[in-house]
Amino acid sequence: MSLRTTLLSTLAIGVAAFGLSAATPASAMVDGDTIVLGSAISFTGKYSTNGIHAKNGYNIAVKRVNEMGGVKVGGKSYKLKIIYYDDESTPARTAQLLERLIKQDGVKYMLGPYSSATTLAAAPITEKYKIPMIEAEGASRALFTKGYRYLFAVLSTAEQYLSATVSLAADIGAKTGKKPGDITIAMAFENDAFSLDVREGVLDEVKKLGLKVVIDDKLPRDLSDMSATLTKVRALKPDVLLISGHSKGAVTAGRQIQEMKIDTPIIAMTHCEAAKVVDKYGPSADGFLCPTQWSETLSSTGKYFGSAGDFDRDFKAAYEGYDKSVPYQSAQAAAAVLVWKEAFERAQDFDTEKVRDAIAATDMQTFYGAIRFSEAGNNIAKPFFLRQIQKGEYHVVAPLSYAVKPIDYPRKPN
Amino acid sequence: MKSLDNKLMLGLLAFGIFGPVLFPDYTFQIALMWIMVLFAQTWDSMGGQMGYNSLGNIFFFGCGMYICTVTQVGLFYDVGDYTSATGSNVTFSDSQYFIGLGVGILAAGVGASVLAACLGWTVFGLRGPYFAIGTLGIALSAGELFGTWDWVGGGSGVAIPVYPGEADHKSMFFYTLCFLAAASTFLFYRWLFSTRFGLAVNAIRDDEGKADAMGLHTLRHKTVAWCFSAFFLGISGALFGNLTGFVEPLEVAFPTATFGIFMVAMSLLGGSGTFWGPVVGAIMFHVIKEATWTYFLGWQWVALGVIIIINVVYFQQGVVGWMQEKWPEKFGIEVDSSMSMEDEAKEAAQ
Repeated sequence: MSLRTTLLSTLAIGVAAFGLSAATPASAMVDGDTIVLGSAISFTGKYSTNGIHAKNGYNIAVKRVNEMGGVKVGGKSYKLKIIYYDDESTPARTAQLLERLIKQDGVKYMLGPYSSATTLAAAPITEKYKIPMIEAEGASRALFTKGYRYLFAVLSTAEQYLSATVSLAADIGAKTGKKPGDITIAMAFENDAFSLDVREGVLDEVKKLGLKVVIDDKLPRDLSDMSATLTKVRALKPDVLLISGHSKGAVTAGRQIQEMKIDTPIIAMTHCEAAKVVDKYGPSADGFLCPTQWSETLSSTGKYFGSAGDFDRDFKAAYEGYDKSVPYQSAQAAAAVLVWKEAFERAQDFDTEKVRDAIAATDMQTFYGAIRFSEAGNNIAKPFFLRQIQKGEYHVVAPLSYAVKPIDYPRKPN
Repeated sequence: MKSLDNKLMLGLLAFGIFGPVLFPDYTFQIALMWIMVLFAQTWDSMGGQMGYNSLGNIFFFGCGMYICTVTQVGLFYDVGDYTSATGSNVTFSDSQYFIGLGVGILAAGVGASVLAACLGWTVFGLRGPYFAIGTLGIALSAGELFGTWDWVGGGSGVAIPVYPGEADHKSMFFYTLCFLAAASTFLFYRWLFSTRFGLAVNAIRDDEGKADAMGLHTLRHKTVAWCFSAFFLGISGALFGNLTGFVEPLEVAFPTATFGIFMVAMSLLGGSGTFWGPVVGAIMFHVIKEATWTYFLGWQWVALGVIIIINVVYFQQGVVGWMQEKWPEKFGIEVDSSMSMEDEAKEAAQ
C-alpha cells in the first residue's frame, strides 16, 4: 500500500465512521405507537448515585403510565419510552449528548439530567432547538433567571434547602434565651451551582435574623474529605453545622462526623436519603436534619401512584436497596414523567409548541404534591420540608403545619 | 511531498466544507473534531517542535472561554448581576449578540496571548518534567481560582447568551467558525515552520544550550511560540464555550484530565514533532472516541486507555512518524544510503 492510499484511507475510514452512524435511521419523536423521551443523566462520576435514583424514578413512572393504558392522543394510545445517555457528571458532556439526542436520535421531548450544573448546560441546547424539557433535579435559581421558555422544573428551588434550619435555630435560641447574635453557624458547601444557591438562601436568612457565621468553607472538588472544616468545628463549637454537597458530600460528612465525634447540637445536610446515611452510619446519624422536596408521609395524592405512601411502597417493591427510605430525587423524577403524560393528553397533539403550552398550563395534583409552573418555569405550588432522623427514621419536623414529630434538640447521637 | 501535502489539504478542505452538508446531524461532532485538530496543533508547536511538554495548555482554553463570556455579557450588562443566581432577567438583541461574540472571540485570543507572555517569564526557567508539572499547576489552580471568583459565577458557572437565530443556523454558524479557526491555525503553523522562526524553535528542542550559545534569544522565541499557541487556544475556548452554552470552571473551562490530556495524547498518536502528525492524530482520536462512546458505552475510558498505552509503549513515533520512517522519500526526507548504520556509529565514536 502506498503512502498516499494509506493516508487517504485513514481519512476515508474517518468519513465512513461518521457516515455509517449517519446511515442508521434516527428514531422519530413519535415512533409508531411510542413517544420517545430523552435524557442525558449521570450514571458514572460524582453524581452517579443520584443519577441512578432519578433514572429509577423516570422508569417506574414510564412503566406505570404504560400499564395504565399509555398516553391517549387523538383517540390512539401511545407508549412512553426513554433514551438515556451517560453524561459522566460533566456539563460539557451534557451539552454534547443533548445535541446527539436531538439531532441524531430525533428526540423532541426531553427529561432533565441530574444536578443544577448539568441542567444549566442542557437548557441552552433545548432552548436553541425549541425542545421542551421537564426537569426534576436542577434546583438552582440561576436556571430560572435566564428567560428560558422551554424549561420546566417540578421541584422547589435550591435556596429553600437549608434556610429553614437557620430559622429553626433562631427559634430554639429564642426559647433557650440566646440572643440571635450569639447563635453561631458553621457551613461547608460544594462549589457548584446547586450548593452555592443553597448557601445564598442560608446567608439571606442569617442576615434577616441576625445570626453569626463562624465557618464558611468550600468542600473540595472531589467531595472526599471535609476534616479540615470539622477540625475547626471541634475548636469553635458552633450551634449549627450546615453541609451541602450532593450525595457524595453527605456520605463524606456522615463518615467524618462519626469518626471525629462531632457533637454540634444542630446538624443539617442535603441529600441524606439519597446518600443512605442511616444505612451507613446508623445511630451516629441520629438527629441530622435533612431538607427534602418530598416525604412519603405527605397527604398528597394523584391518579397514577395514589398517595405518597403508595408510591413509597411500590418503589421499594420495584427496586432494591431502598429499604430505609425512597429518596425524593426518584419521586420528583417520576412526577416529571407524569407532567409529560398529562401535557400530551391536554395538547392532543405532538407539535412541540402546542405541547410546550400545555406544559406551561399544567395544574395538577400528584403523589409528589401540587405542580404548577411560574412564568420562569419553576414549580411554585409545592412547599419544602425539613425532616429529622430520629431513631433511624425520617420524620417531618418543619414546616409546622406538616410536622409529624417535634424536633429533637439537641441532637443525641448514640 | 508537495503533491501529497496538497492532496491531504484538499481532502480536509473538502471534508470541512461538505462534511456538515452530507451529515447535517453530525455538525456538532465535526465541529468538535476541528477544535481537537486545533488542540493537537497548538500543543505540538510547543511539545513536538520545541521540546517543551506543557500539560497546562488548557489554561489558555479556559481563560479564552471566560474572557469571551465576560466580554459577551459585560459589553451590555453588569457581569456580577448576570452571574448571580438571583440576578435580573436579561435578553440580548441580535446586534448585541453578534457584536459581543465578535469582540469576545478576538479578546479571547489576544487576552490568552498576553497571559502567555506574562507566564512565559516565570515558567520558561523550568525544563523537562518541571516545566510539565509547573504548567499543570497553573491550569489546576486556575480552575480552582475561577471557582472561587463570584463575579464570573464561581462554581455555579455562567450561562452564555442564547444564539438569536434558528437552531440549525447556529450549528452551521459555529461550525464555520470552528473550521475557520482550525484552518487558520493550520495555515499559520505551516507558514511559521517554513520560516527561520521554525528552525529556531527546532534548535531549542534539539539542544537549547547550544542554541543559546549560538546567539539565539531562546526565552524570546519560547515566549513568542507560546503566545501563538495561546492565541489560537483562546479562540478555541471562546468557540467551545459558545458551542456548549454554559461555562463552569472545573469541567468545562479547565478540564485538565480530559481535554488537557487529549491534546498530548492526540499529538503522540499522530506523531509528535511531525507536521501532519497532530492533524491526523486528532482526527483519528476523535473518531475513535466518538465511536467508543456510542458503541462501547461503559467501556469507553478503558478503550481510550488501551489505545494510549499501545501508542506510548509500542508505537512511540505515532502514525505519521511511523510512515515517515517507512517511506521517507514520500515525505521529502533524503536518506543518504552511502551512510550505513555502522558508518554512523563509527563516526559518532570518533
